Amino acid sequence: MIFLAGLLTIFLIAFIYTYIFSSKILLEEGRKNAANLTDLTITRIENILQPVQIVPTNLVQALETPGIAGKEIIRLAREYVIESPEVFGSCLAYEPYVHSDKEYWYAPYTYETSSGVRFKNLGSRDYDYFNLDWYRLPKLMNHPVWTEPYFDKGGGDALMCTYSVPYYKVEAGKRVFKGVLTMDISLSSFERIINSVKVFKSGYAFLVSKKGRIINYPDLVTVNENILDIARKGNGINTIRAIGEMLQGKRGFVRVDGLRAKKDPSFLYYAPVASTGWSLGIIFPEKELFSDFIGFFRRLIIIFAVCVLSILITTVLITRRLTIPISRLVDATHRIGQGDFNALLPIHRSNDEISKLTNAFSVMQEELSTYLRNLKETTIAKEKIESELKIAHTIQMGMLPTEFPSRKECDLFAILESAKEVGGDLYDFFFLDSDHLCVAIGDVAGKGVPAALFMAITRTLLRSNISLSISLHEAIQRINQSLVKENPNQMFVTFWAGIIDLRSGEMEFCNAGHNYPYILKKDGIVQKIPQTNGLPLGIYNETPYSSRKIQILQGEILILYTDGVTEALNTDQEFYGDNKLVQLLSGLESKTANEIGLKLAGDVHAFSMGHEQADDITILVMIYEGMNTAKTYSMDKIKVTLLNQLDELEKIVDVVEEISGKWGLPSRVSMELNLVLEELFTNIVFYAFDDGKKHELQIEFERTGEGIIKIRMIDEGKPFNLLTKTTIDFNSPLEDRKVGGLGIHFVKEMMDHVEYERDGNKNVVILTRKFS
Amino acid sequence: MELIEQKTEKCVIVNITGRLDTTNYSLLEKKLTDLIENHEDKILVECSKMDYVSSSGLRILLMALKKVTMAKGKFVLCNLQDNIREIFEISGFSNIFEIYPSQEEALKVF
Repeated sequence: MIFLAGLLTIFLIAFIYTYIFSSKILLEEGRKNAANLTDLTITRIENILQPVQIVPTNLVQALETPGIAGKEIIRLAREYVIESPEVFGSCLAYEPYVHSDKEYWYAPYTYETSSGVRFKNLGSRDYDYFNLDWYRLPKLMNHPVWTEPYFDKGGGDALMCTYSVPYYKVEAGKRVFKGVLTMDISLSSFERIINSVKVFKSGYAFLVSKKGRIINYPDLVTVNENILDIARKGNGINTIRAIGEMLQGKRGFVRVDGLRAKKDPSFLYYAPVASTGWSLGIIFPEKELFSDFIGFFRRLIIIFAVCVLSILITTVLITRRLTIPISRLVDATHRIGQGDFNALLPIHRSNDEISKLTNAFSVMQEELSTYLRNLKETTIAKEKIESELKIAHTIQMGMLPTEFPSRKECDLFAILESAKEVGGDLYDFFFLDSDHLCVAIGDVAGKGVPAALFMAITRTLLRSNISLSISLHEAIQRINQSLVKENPNQMFVTFWAGIIDLRSGEMEFCNAGHNYPYILKKDGIVQKIPQTNGLPLGIYNETPYSSRKIQILQGEILILYTDGVTEALNTDQEFYGDNKLVQLLSGLESKTANEIGLKLAGDVHAFSMGHEQADDITILVMIYEGMNTAKTYSMDKIKVTLLNQLDELEKIVDVVEEISGKWGLPSRVSMELNLVLEELFTNIVFYAFDDGKKHELQIEFERTGEGIIKIRMIDEGKPFNLLTKTTIDFNSPLEDRKVGGLGIHFVKEMMDHVEYERDGNKNVVILTRKFS
Repeated sequence: MELIEQKTEKCVIVNITGRLDTTNYSLLEKKLTDLIENHEDKILVECSKMDYVSSSGLRILLMALKKVTMAKGKFVLCNLQDNIREIFEISGFSNIFEIYPSQEEALKVF
């Protein structure tokens, strides 16, 4: 298409150029022809005019010669009129009284009529020739003159032009004007010449006088009109200007309007007729000048169009022949693209590029089909594995205990975040008996299903091997041996286990190649737990393991973790590291285990933001709350310290149970104590403090004598004397019953004696109850 | 504390086991409120296994009694342990609650 457009443009440019160039040449040719024709016609006109000028001039010369009579001249002039077909008439007109003293007018005139040559005297009162141009102008100008065309009424009675030659006589040394000799030419004399000029189909010549009077104009009937008037009737300034120049005797070639009866645009060539000052114009229509040329161009356009059309058809045919197999191939590829691998490729018989392309596509189709089949199978297999991995992950996570023990001696929390679906980390905690808690952490080298399985085995072995009946390092040794035995993949696990006696805080531990855990002390100092130098589990059967013991004090925190914490990478490829870990931990000594664990995990995540988690992150935190800090034991005195939190109520229940057993309280009394202490305690929790902070309160139990128990409850809250509070109204109907005051009512009713004192900033309530 | 709810043709029996105190009264509150809001306004509280109640617990029972009475329903207790009965006596609640010594007797009132 672009090719065709280009071709078309080139043709068009050539075409336009040729047209402009050709029309210029054609116009120039037209001008030359018109000029030649004009000159030729002017020559023919001059051929008529020249003799008409020469003869009277000669006669006047003769007349001026002394001795030659006017009569003789008139006779000669008459002979010339008869001889010359162009000359219509001739007159010798005298000045007044020159011919004779009696004759004012004397102008003998010889002229041709249809019935022969006539003779008459022109001058009379009716024909006062002295004022006519043919007499007046030569007299005035002192030289021969061609008159403008005129109708000689009373003279020749015809349309004519007159050549007048003045004659003089020398009288007293002066040339004195005596009269004129004229030759009349009928304008019809030029008709033949002008009419014989034919230019193209309707072009013609015309002749105008010096003043523009039309001498001959074939196209326009109105003779004797002025050419300027005709030009003015048309609208073209060009035309008026051209006519103006024409009348000034110039020569030119212009395009004009309105000079022809048809008013069609035409070309005018004009040139002067030198002897008379007339002007000859040749005018021919523009259309006719170019008619052949336009015909030629029409044919050229048709030929050109036929050429372009045949090129177009040929191109389309060739292109279709070339592209049909390709577009079929494209269709087939689309179908393949949409997944129809059985789409038939078009059969192309010729052995060209297209058939090569088709073959290549066919090969690609087969390979693609095979590839996709394989991909589908692989994907199904992969999906299956992935879903199995997810299940494995769920199972693995299910193996880890998440119910943290609710023992007041310890606060425990653990978290494991896998890097992949299934990982190789593990943690565990369980009670060996009511006082011995076992905590463990491990990291299997490697990831994925094998690591997870190895981790599961390790955990199972841990649970089945650790007991109080053998020492910890022996148990670890057994676990190691079992792992070595069933370890075809040469896997291993770094492992750390500890057994804590919650009564004393003593911890026995054994490390099998794991990172050393930390102890966070109450003052914020972080200490490493010493190593026991054991190899990771699963490597050598005979490796010895040893265990050690340390004392964990009340409030100290044990932190176990895997290298997923310390070796977490950030985007700058830096490790989280031990320093950062220690730094973070040292501010967390007053937090709960849960808070510490989540804070650490969160910090690691924030550190490695933007970097994919490379390894499992496992953290286990155990705060040793101690056994003997909240209670003071003696035979007859027990003191318990509580925080102003509702869940501390448990401690009251425990301690009441304890003294009930120890001092043999009847169940009714212990229930009453429970009830009374709960009411007082909840009062303190709800009302004693407004600051929302934790506060301690003490309850002291004392057996003051046989069967008497005394309880002192001390808090540092707002002053509150329960004895001044009114108790409930028993007789009010149900609708008005309120629970407020019921607790205090119980206290007063159930205790034998209730005292209150304000001791500094402390409320002290003293209860006494007999129990036997 | 453990709560067991049992629907019979006549009423809903709520069985309280264990201690009803400040730490867990809200469980009972929710249970009873749900029942009453679902127009179960015939409620029998079986107390044979309830071995402790504090004023917080009593408050819930009182609240339930008020709501059920307003709804023209019935809220009764049965099988109170001696200790509990004493608490009810001391608090004066024995005067405003209908308390029956056995479930059979209690069921007759519905």
